[in-house]
Amino acid sequence: MKKFFSVVKREYVQRVRAKMFIVSTILLPMVMSLFGIVPAIILSIDAGSAMRVAVVDHTGKMYDQLSQALVSDESSQETQNNGMSQQRSARSIPFGNFRLEEVSAENQSAEQIRTTLDQRLRNKEIDGYIILPPDFLNHGQAEFFNRNPGDVVSRRTLQSALNRAAREQRLIEAKVDSKTRQGLFQPVELQAVKIGAAGQERDSGGSFALVFGIGFVMYLAILMYGQIILGAVIEEKETRIAEILFSSVKPFALMMGKLVGVSLVALTQLAIWGLAFSAFALYGSGVLAARGIRGNIPNIPLSHYIYFALFFLLGYFIYATIYALVGSMVTTAQEGGQLAMPIILILVVSFYLFFPVSRSPDSSFSFWVSMIPFSAPVAMLVRIVTQTPPFWQIALSLLIGFSSVLVIMWLAARVYRVGMLMYGKRASIPEALRWARQA
Amino acid sequence: MAVTEITVKLDRVTKTFGEFTAVRELSLDVRAGRVFGLLGPNGAGKTTTIRMIVNITAPDSGSISLFGRTIDAEVQDRIGYLPEERGLYRRMRVADQLRFFAELKNFRGKEVEAKIDEWLERVKLAEWKNKRSMELSKGMQQKVQFITSVIHDPDLLILDEPFSGLDPINVELLKEIVLDLKRAGKTIIFSTHQMEVAEKICDDICLLNRSQKVFEGSLREIKRSFGRNSVAVRCEGGDGVLDDPALVSKLVRHADEAQALLAAGADAQVLLKRLIDSGATIGKFEMVEPSLNDIFITKVTEPA
Repeated sequence: MKKFFSVVKREYVQRVRAKMFIVSTILLPMVMSLFGIVPAIILSIDAGSAMRVAVVDHTGKMYDQLSQALVSDESSQETQNNGMSQQRSARSIPFGNFRLEEVSAENQSAEQIRTTLDQRLRNKEIDGYIILPPDFLNHGQAEFFNRNPGDVVSRRTLQSALNRAAREQRLIEAKVDSKTRQGLFQPVELQAVKIGAAGQERDSGGSFALVFGIGFVMYLAILMYGQIILGAVIEEKETRIAEILFSSVKPFALMMGKLVGVSLVALTQLAIWGLAFSAFALYGSGVLAARGIRGNIPNIPLSHYIYFALFFLLGYFIYATIYALVGSMVTTAQEGGQLAMPIILILVVSFYLFFPVSRSPDSSFSFWVSMIPFSAPVAMLVRIVTQTPPFWQIALSLLIGFSSVLVIMWLAARVYRVGMLMYGKRASIPEALRWARQA
Repeated sequence: MAVTEITVKLDRVTKTFGEFTAVRELSLDVRAGRVFGLLGPNGAGKTTTIRMIVNITAPDSGSISLFGRTIDAEVQDRIGYLPEERGLYRRMRVADQLRFFAELKNFRGKEVEAKIDEWLERVKLAEWKNKRSMELSKGMQQKVQFITSVIHDPDLLILDEPFSGLDPINVELLKEIVLDLKRAGKTIIFSTHQMEVAEKICDDICLLNRSQKVFEGSLREIKRSFGRNSVAVRCEGGDGVLDDPALVSKLVRHADEAQALLAAGADAQVLLKRLIDSGATIGKFEMVEPSLNDIFITKVTEPA
């Protein structure tokens, strides 16, 4: 047992002290947030100035509606409610990314207007023009001429604004007053109410999101640390230390020590991130609260938090031990990487079981997937937050899971030892099984 | 000879891997406080034998006892083992590394630090104590590996090809340490196929060939049993005499002298007389003991 702790200590201390650990602990969240923020920033970059669009309104009614619709699209709800009835009289008004200009259709033939506008388009005095034919409100067909048909974003914005404008105008013509019109477009809300043992309770979906989050963090931890466990198991083969070790320590103690050591490193890193994130979230919610916005703190019973922790650990260890087993079968990290590919596949599939299980958490399908160690962590957590299954099922799932961890580690230790005696030969799966028997 | 304590005793030990028998019906006694040479060509079963002694693998049949008892974790801690396949953690500092290996032998606490310093001093690596092992030269790494096998002051030290790849100065340094350990009463099992090295430090030897023991005993007795049937000759002329198969069964020419193994039934005096008669000028004519190398080659190439 003391030797086991020596192995754990070595793995942990060596890894936590390494520059890699410190750098990745600091850098990864930065990279992640960069991935989150950069696309948002890029999308909001306005490459040019506002798009100048001329509108030829043959109906004579649409221009004002269109300009209002564009405003309501660009700015928030408040402007929609307050600024609705304001008449805009200026000839050219900025609407967010668009600068509209009304072109009078009177006294000119359609061809004349088009020729003039084409000319202006070529001279880059405008960026595009829309022609609304007289029967636009009936047929709903308009044309947009521009130099850059690839600008999908602008076209879509214009189209949806035009859509709303036409709808509004049609309602006006149907003699629907503005109050009724607003009422018509009031969105509805679907409030989910959970009927639990204690009666009705409002569930904002918080615990659901939390399960999803835990599944995701588990997935992340496996992706990050699976390869490291693989490397740790192979380390003694590549450096040829295995034989020295095995004259002092049992293979199982060595394997278990490595698994636990690396896992403690993973948990340390996750804890650092978790604390940093909570501090950040606490600060953020404080700021929001000061502004009068109150976040919904999900109402989750304490027992669920314990289950979250247990099943997270189970999920992590199940996959980590599979990586250890792969490590015991191969001689180099590259080989291991290839052999480990199916693990990721199983992981992804188990993760997606989230959805069928959440739809019918009491079905026998859900029961079985919550007993199979690979899918149990996510499936059982989903069941716990939706319709908490009887305690014996939760306990059984944990028991099966953690026993599987021990069995896999035992197997890995045997395969590892025989593999070492066989001198750097990579094991096929049947060979590995034979080794496990004969060792 | 007085009854000496037996440190390692193998009794009819057999180990097979699938179809292949690595060790067959091997019995041997390693006496306490002596250097025991486990010799044999590559693939003779030396490493498998050692692995069974250090409890990495178990024999299929037969029994092994260490210090008079069957092997267990406690006995394992009294062994120091330097395998032929050996290495160090590349990124770990030398001192941390030695501490870890000591801990795996349940040797902990303050004394470990003193031992680390003492041993590094002894192999002249004191200033490398806090360097990572990847920064060390291959020879230095080998000396660190050697320390890992002795840091916990084992009663039985097993060295598998300990000097391979070392320069002569370091070979001499480690050889001295091994002999010091023997003087301190430690039992040493020394496995090699380099006979010149074995000849200089072993008290007893066991020769393995094709999974089986060829012979076992003290080096002196073995040499004596082979008799003085070898002659070192330095002469000019007389080549025809030395090539006569009736007199010389095997002739090895070195730079300035030749070593002649007498044919069965041939007499050294007859050889000398024939050489003189042939008119050769004799600079040296000396009866010598066969080298362990000669014995080894004779035994290994002998039909079983």
